[in-house]
Amino acid sequence: MTPHAQKAAIFNKDEVRTDWHDASLWMVRKKRDFAVSEIPEWEFLREFASDIKMHTLSKLDDYLELFEKAAIQNGATVHWAEDAKEHNDIVLTILNKHQAKKMVKSKSMLTEECHLNEFLERHNIEVIDSDLGERIIQMLNEPPSHIVMPAIHLKKEEIGELFHRELHTEKGATDPQYLTEAARHHLREKFHTAQVALTGVNFGIAETGEVVVCTNEGNADMGVHLTPVQIHSMGIEKLIPRRSDLAVFTRLLARSATGQPVTVFTSHHRNPKPAGEMHIILVDNGRTEQLGKPDFRSSLKCIRCGACMNTCPIYRRSGGHSYETTIPGPIGSILTPGIDLKKHGQLPFASTLCGSCTDVCPVKIDIHTQLYKWRQIVSEAGLPEAGNKTMMSIMGNGLASPTFFHRLGNIGRKLLRLFPGKERFLSFTVWTKDRDLPKAPVESFREWYAKQAKDA
Amino acid sequence: MPSKETILTKIKANRPNLWPLPDVPIFETLATDKKKLFIQILERGGSKVHCVDDSTQIHQVITTHFPENKRMVSALPFLEGIEGITTLHPDFYEGTEVAIIEGLIGVAENGALWVTENELGDVRVLPFIAQHLVMVISEKNIVGTMHEAYKKLGLPTTEGFGVFIAGPSKTADIEQSLVIGAQGARSLLVILTP
Repeated sequence: MTPHAQKAAIFNKDEVRTDWHDASLWMVRKKRDFAVSEIPEWEFLREFASDIKMHTLSKLDDYLELFEKAAIQNGATVHWAEDAKEHNDIVLTILNKHQAKKMVKSKSMLTEECHLNEFLERHNIEVIDSDLGERIIQMLNEPPSHIVMPAIHLKKEEIGELFHRELHTEKGATDPQYLTEAARHHLREKFHTAQVALTGVNFGIAETGEVVVCTNEGNADMGVHLTPVQIHSMGIEKLIPRRSDLAVFTRLLARSATGQPVTVFTSHHRNPKPAGEMHIILVDNGRTEQLGKPDFRSSLKCIRCGACMNTCPIYRRSGGHSYETTIPGPIGSILTPGIDLKKHGQLPFASTLCGSCTDVCPVKIDIHTQLYKWRQIVSEAGLPEAGNKTMMSIMGNGLASPTFFHRLGNIGRKLLRLFPGKERFLSFTVWTKDRDLPKAPVESFREWYAKQAKDA
Repeated sequence: MPSKETILTKIKANRPNLWPLPDVPIFETLATDKKKLFIQILERGGSKVHCVDDSTQIHQVITTHFPENKRMVSALPFLEGIEGITTLHPDFYEGTEVAIIEGLIGVAENGALWVTENELGDVRVLPFIAQHLVMVISEKNIVGTMHEAYKKLGLPTTEGFGVFIAGPSKTADIEQSLVIGAQGARSLLVILTP
């Protein structure tokens, strides 16, 4: 079994909880369907979004320079980071320059990818994740299990217990309204005392140098506007050429993510506040390599809505943590093998290739095709995840030779008769783990056909 | 080589052939009554909407909605001098319970209202830090879709910060249960003027 399958098996031990997880995400998928049904031009928007992103990728160097120029003109400072380490060093340098010891952060998958929190904590900086879900998992010392709903795997009883311990809420209290209120008070204090705020970026606009951040809670803006120094960490693929392109993307993003017609706040940050500082860090960290892979470069169109996770039958029933990547689910499974084939090469196999991810993707990434293509690469690299090699080679030979196939069928039917119901005698293949073997037929089709021919 | 050059060189080597940039049409809403749709979507998202006949009624609407003597701060010039409403000052917004601001554009398809730092008296944090938010907008400024909104917005000129606000702050991070009033305003009252 692959590490993902092992983790998924553990997740599935609690059947009630697995069903609950599955249903929660399916509910979000249904909300998405409703929101999409209200937009007659939805399919055109997907096509435009895809083309705008592909165009940007085809001129990414030009657009990055354009963006940098505009941002500098606005009064922002632009930094370039080749990898996670350089990104983290830049953040630390900014913090040190201001002798800052406390930083509030709003949701950013990029900083998860860079493991920024751990790095800063090692340098005695207190990092406070300010999105409610992110704060919860930060207190639990867990990674997010979903890119939009980081604490989707947790029950309110567990969060109630955690808040009782950390925020001194009443013991046994589980009401989400009450718990959210407690977090509001806790975080408002942090916003007022932090010296630096860091956010992720949903869209960077090349022609204006603006960064656009989409949130529902208002936490990103609380941080950015209350602290003197604001930092925006941005993957280089987040660029779009024109401000008007935001119309396409804001219409697609929230509807795909949570089924809302738009996020509550769509903030356009262009220049620093009076006497403030604004830093934008442009991060590569493997993106330029992915750009060089013709079969996989379109994965860089991703706008991180999470729709592919909500719809994926494997994700819904295995949980985000089973993927052991920053970005789990179908999109994570095509983004991460390029970073570390040995470690993540197993993930393209965590799929039924049903194609539902591709159907819901707002920027038309052919996710399931790329999953299939990664499987070919993993197999050619001879990695053990490439399915059940022994079984595959027996099957391959068997199906290629009629005589051998005939004999194999005979042996199979005999075995089935000798060990009826003993489905686990094939336990070396995971195939029979959850499947019963059929009853052995009296004769094969070929034997039956031969008899018919004789009788006629 | 500095990181900027390294990254740009790698992109030049790895980028695909030029892909054309599409011209995106201005999609309009199919709804015949944009105002009705705007109100409907706002209410669906947990906001309250109140229509007035002229701006002199705004004060009345606000005091009806907030009968207790809450600390109200207004960035609207025509509310200046009215008892109980403080005019916004950049050094004097802490503890704001109700912030009253103007929305420049309303978007019918998603209930979003555009506001920039100019309408916030340069206090960018105002609509987030206030416990309750009141946004006043003329129904003449309601457009159908985001395409129309960005067309109207054009490129930024003086404003360093602008935001679409589409309701009270909210979260569903605990078991997908919707909670209104996450970290920003707990409620949004939209007052529509002619």
